[in-house]
Amino acid sequence: MARTDATATRGESEPLLSIENLQTAFFTDKEVIRAVDGVSFDIERGETVGVVGESGSGKSVTARSIMGLVDSPGRVLEGSSIRFDGEELTDKSEKEYRSIRGGDIAMVFQDPLTSLNPVYTVGNQIKESLRLHQDMRGAEATEEAIDLLEAVGIPDAARRVNEYPHEFSGGMRQRAVIAMALACDPELLICDEPTTALDVTIQAQILELLDDIQEERDLAIMFITHDMGVIAEISDRVNVMYAGEIVETAPVEELFANPRHPYTEGLLNSIPGNQPGADRLETIEGDVPTPNEPATYCRFEPRCPKAFEECTRVHPEPVAVTDGADDHTAACLLYPEDVSEAEAVELHERRGDGEEVTDR
Amino acid sequence: MSRWQYFGKRLLLSVPVLVFGASITFLVIRAGPLDPVSAIIGPQGDPQAYNRIREQLGLNEPLWRQYIDYMVDLFTFQLGESWVVQPERDVYSLLASYAPRTIWLGFWSVLIAVFIGIPLGFYAGLNPNTFSDYLASFGGIVWRAMPNFWLAVILMSVLSQSQSLFGFSWQNWLYETNVTGPPPLPGDLVTLLTSPDHFFPALKKIAPAAIVLGSASMGNEMRIGRTAVLETVNSNFIETAKAKGVPPRSLVWKHIFRNALIPLVPIITGEAFLLIGGSVLVETVFNISGIGYLFFQGIQNGDMPLVGSLMFVFILLVVVINIVQDLLYTIIDPRVGYDGGA
Repeated sequence: MARTDATATRGESEPLLSIENLQTAFFTDKEVIRAVDGVSFDIERGETVGVVGESGSGKSVTARSIMGLVDSPGRVLEGSSIRFDGEELTDKSEKEYRSIRGGDIAMVFQDPLTSLNPVYTVGNQIKESLRLHQDMRGAEATEEAIDLLEAVGIPDAARRVNEYPHEFSGGMRQRAVIAMALACDPELLICDEPTTALDVTIQAQILELLDDIQEERDLAIMFITHDMGVIAEISDRVNVMYAGEIVETAPVEELFANPRHPYTEGLLNSIPGNQPGADRLETIEGDVPTPNEPATYCRFEPRCPKAFEECTRVHPEPVAVTDGADDHTAACLLYPEDVSEAEAVELHERRGDGEEVTDR
Repeated sequence: MSRWQYFGKRLLLSVPVLVFGASITFLVIRAGPLDPVSAIIGPQGDPQAYNRIREQLGLNEPLWRQYIDYMVDLFTFQLGESWVVQPERDVYSLLASYAPRTIWLGFWSVLIAVFIGIPLGFYAGLNPNTFSDYLASFGGIVWRAMPNFWLAVILMSVLSQSQSLFGFSWQNWLYETNVTGPPPLPGDLVTLLTSPDHFFPALKKIAPAAIVLGSASMGNEMRIGRTAVLETVNSNFIETAKAKGVPPRSLVWKHIFRNALIPLVPIITGEAFLLIGGSVLVETVFNISGIGYLFFQGIQNGDMPLVGSLMFVFILLVVVINIVQDLLYTIIDPRVGYDGGA
């Protein structure tokens, strides 16, 4: 899995962010929880990648792993690779990481009501970012902070820059948080459910704002949500996560038109209004299991309507759903579609073994 | 509303509090079993002298007249003269000679609490569930649980026998002092603060009493400080700050410290009240003739004007501390507004 082109010049071909076999585990007294277990995906410049999944599927931990913000007792395991702009982030010291956080990669959190420090003005907090990463101070920084607030659509920015977070409404606060994230002209913006705490109209405004900003600044966005509607709206590619693993990845239209993994199908079916005429809303029975042991089987099997015997024995690896469909992969023993079930199972088994050989 | 308007409003609103407090004090003093006349002439005084003195002190006047005289005197700051404890001595001059000792004691006990309790609590909160956290927390609880009067007596007896207990003489250490007795304060503040020969003996003398008086507050502030820091550390804005690359030092001092101070403000100011009440006990045990001691003497001897005036001073102090607390709040926490309501 080592990349041979690491020394190659930064071309358009290399993705901005490349995650390979990311494993983040939490070591508690009782058990080891593999919150993120072998996740791999890329984000290109200017692209929006959505990450969906139920609560507890490891979306937020993935984001925090990229930011280097996994707190003890959790840590990113050996063998994980996060390459950003040609640099390996997992080898960085805490100090080196800090210049990337907020500088090249910025993050917007879920709850705008609590993600600003209540005792400092909004301007102060934006200026803090500017000072840390661009060494900008005083009047110049104030000027820049006002520009940023204007850029995220806050009216009367020159006055509001000196106001405290409690004087802002929820939507305005999320705009301010986004302004803060944009302060240092990041290349990648990680949004961890940025619209979940907002009402629907404000949600639409924030999504529109993100869209505009992306176009203006050629920003890559990693968008985490459990809301399929939001995913359809904003993303180019979608990664579906389940119990710490990516179970399906596809371009957004393809995913909505042709969901392949039974979990994705279940997610789409459980959107209210997707099945007009049905008496009851379809749901996926049960909960996401806590991934506390190495995966030697399909973690979705207990809830899967299409499960068969082999699912409890063979761990599915991400494979192209049909021969040649490189940008649509699913980690399910039913695929690739165009070979027989036995052959598919064997392929998954071989892939799993092969990975172990190169891994250890 | 501006800060000064708010301040003015608070001052104005404190007048009814003062009136109410002074009235209750009057009621308690007059309704209680205080008999200043027998305290003056002793139990075997003859009834004629008793009545004459009673007449002289104005205790035969109707109660409403006494009340009006009392209130007018207090609110024009004529604190009157002591009757019994030090007859015919002005309360102001009594305050001038007794208050410095109490202030010296209170100052150090607040300082000990603030500068040991809070840093210890913050340290424990920043390193939760480590050995040093457990040590500090456990110490805080034990320290907090020891009652003033007990700790005072124990400390006093240990220090006076330190020679035979530890082979180290507290009395002769650095400067020669007794364990009990008032601190040797010079007449003016400048001499006290500039001359080490005055400052250190005075400090050494007051230290045991200050530690006793500050101990409960110290434990309290430690516990609250720890909780406040833990709560702040786990809040979302700290994560946001981390995500924008704020280094740990400024994370602690800029983002955590100020937020954690908010719940500590009422604790600190609340303890400033306690120091007035608590000092009566500690001053008595350590024989420091300060305000608390004077107040206690006044009550025992039925010295009505002295007790009333001291009580008025205490109420005034409490009101002022309250206003200071609210001002501090508006400075530290911008969410606290100047307008009424929440």
